[in-house]
Amino acid sequence: MKKLLVLGLLCLVMVGCTKKGGQEAGVIRIGAAGQLTGPEAVFGADMLNGVTLAVDEWNAKGGVLGKKIELVPGDDQAEPRQAVAVANKFAAEGVAGVVGHFNSSCSIPASEIYHKAGIPQISHASTNPKLTDQGFDNVFRVCGRDDQQGKAAADFAVQKLKVKRVAVIHDKTTYGQGFAEEFKKNLGSGVEVLLFEGITKGDKDYSPVVTKIKSVNPDLIFFGGIYTEGGLLVKQYKAMGGTAPFIGGDGIMSEEMLKIGGPATEGTYATFGPDTKDIPSAKGFNENYRKKYGEPGVYSVYAYDAANILLQSIQAAGGTDGKKVLPVIRAIDYNGALGHIRFDARGDVKESPYVVWKVESGKFKQVK
Amino acid sequence: MFLQHLLNGITIGGSYALIALGYTLVYGVLKLINFAHGEIYMIGAYLGFILISLIPAMPPFLQGNLILLLLAVVLVAAVICSLYGYYLEKICYRPLRGAPKLTPLISALGASIFLQNFVMISMGAKDRIFPQTIGMQAITMGGVSFTLLQLVIIFSSIALMALIYWFINRTRLGIAIKATSADPYMASLVGINVDTVISVTFMAGSFLAACAGVMIGLYYGSINFTLGYLGGIKAFTAAVLGGIGNVPGAMIGGFLLGVIEALGAGYFSSEYKDVYAFFILIAVLVFRPAGLLGKGANERA
Repeated sequence: MKKLLVLGLLCLVMVGCTKKGGQEAGVIRIGAAGQLTGPEAVFGADMLNGVTLAVDEWNAKGGVLGKKIELVPGDDQAEPRQAVAVANKFAAEGVAGVVGHFNSSCSIPASEIYHKAGIPQISHASTNPKLTDQGFDNVFRVCGRDDQQGKAAADFAVQKLKVKRVAVIHDKTTYGQGFAEEFKKNLGSGVEVLLFEGITKGDKDYSPVVTKIKSVNPDLIFFGGIYTEGGLLVKQYKAMGGTAPFIGGDGIMSEEMLKIGGPATEGTYATFGPDTKDIPSAKGFNENYRKKYGEPGVYSVYAYDAANILLQSIQAAGGTDGKKVLPVIRAIDYNGALGHIRFDARGDVKESPYVVWKVESGKFKQVK
Repeated sequence: MFLQHLLNGITIGGSYALIALGYTLVYGVLKLINFAHGEIYMIGAYLGFILISLIPAMPPFLQGNLILLLLAVVLVAAVICSLYGYYLEKICYRPLRGAPKLTPLISALGASIFLQNFVMISMGAKDRIFPQTIGMQAITMGGVSFTLLQLVIIFSSIALMALIYWFINRTRLGIAIKATSADPYMASLVGINVDTVISVTFMAGSFLAACAGVMIGLYYGSINFTLGYLGGIKAFTAAVLGGIGNVPGAMIGGFLLGVIEALGAGYFSSEYKDVYAFFILIAVLVFRPAGLLGKGANERA
């Protein structure tokens, strides 16, 4: 009898310990998912800082619906299986919404879990078309899509750079390979693709592929991937005497790209959204961000707006129930740091202009 | 194009060979695969990064002589790493001497995870970027492009290998290592201090791994705490390829592995770069289990 009693008590304690779904009174929890550790941790920190800034501002104003916002970070290490673990954890904890993930290869498998749990997911940086093409009603993104980005990069290469021969390299991820394929598709018949090859993410030695690129002698080298590999690729190519410029996408738009690649990155192009340092709507964000964390990363402002959209929608819906929040997000007409944001039926932003940036004297500058 | 791939392969192969020597030396005396060896290589790269970052803070008359400074960086990093090797053996393997063979192996894996996380926590999880120091301009000769740094790396690794070869075959301590590796019990009977020999073996292996770490850090310019995992596995493959326990075998295995990788990735597809190395490993294990230069299993028994 005594044993049974102890057992029963133990069970009670265990039930008490597990935070079962739903929100505790007085607190609204939202998740922020991205690569907080690992080689791409800089992108993760940019995201977390942006979301933290938004949450702090709401809390300073008294929170949402009179409740304090609690931010729950989730580290996916830029790995799909970690992303699924993070998503399951968020679903079990019953967060009211998620900002993230960064990598498309993480966002897509995670979105399935959020979809089942009815949790709104707003990605700040996953650009692979498949993310919103899955038809999930809970998935949104504040960035563009790779079919738009691939076209922007290809148009720039053909019309402005007037290239005839290109080499296309990608990192075999959902994002990198998808972006590379979109680029290739949009080049048109006047351009010859000499090489279309994948490299291994996390590797340091790209001399074999660089040798190959050099031997086909292209006018332009496209890279679909992240700065970790992009920086090394540019550096090793230039160290081998290569002279053709590189073009990449949002994945290489980071100070880290310039640090890893060093002087070799000079003249490298990248497609991304327009400069947010100068636009008036982002003035307040930039000032506050600099005060707390220093210079914002390119995706910080996207994460900040994603968090604000989520919190504003919860406020407008009058609760954290996904069924009520989702229609509000879909219909939102939001004026944020990035400017005007509205979502289409898929969950993509309605206006998404890609522009081209170029590294000039050690800095990314928008090509006017 | 072929010569270019060959040169690329030899550069990376030299570092595989240096790390592989550590595996092979330790296996020789202890019959133990020191799986924490890759982490020593990674720590060497980090020490190189820390020391090179200190260069701008040094007095100007020292900064003028960059080559000498880099040499000093490699030397200091290597000496600190030999201490890591010494204590690794003392803490993780010595208490388990005489335990069943699996026990020190588990201890090695534990040490590896510990060291990796130690570096992650103390140095941060993101990539560290080496300051640009020497020779990244391309030199082209007869259609083959290389950098000054690449030449320095190839020649230093060959010089280090010659040094270790001389050390093992020509010095008293080296001959004691050979004797211990042939028969530890007999060696102790003729007055060789086996404990000292084992410590020296670990220190020598770590010394070489640290040199490889600093050179690879300089070459690629970015390092992170997971560097030791793949680097260690590749070097282990090289050691097995050449015949584990065999010193010239490790050197040949290292170069061979680097060249196979470079040619495979260059002529077929770089998507499967790591596959070629491990494919060769499997083939060697199936057809020549003792490795290219290893003695046959029967002979050893």
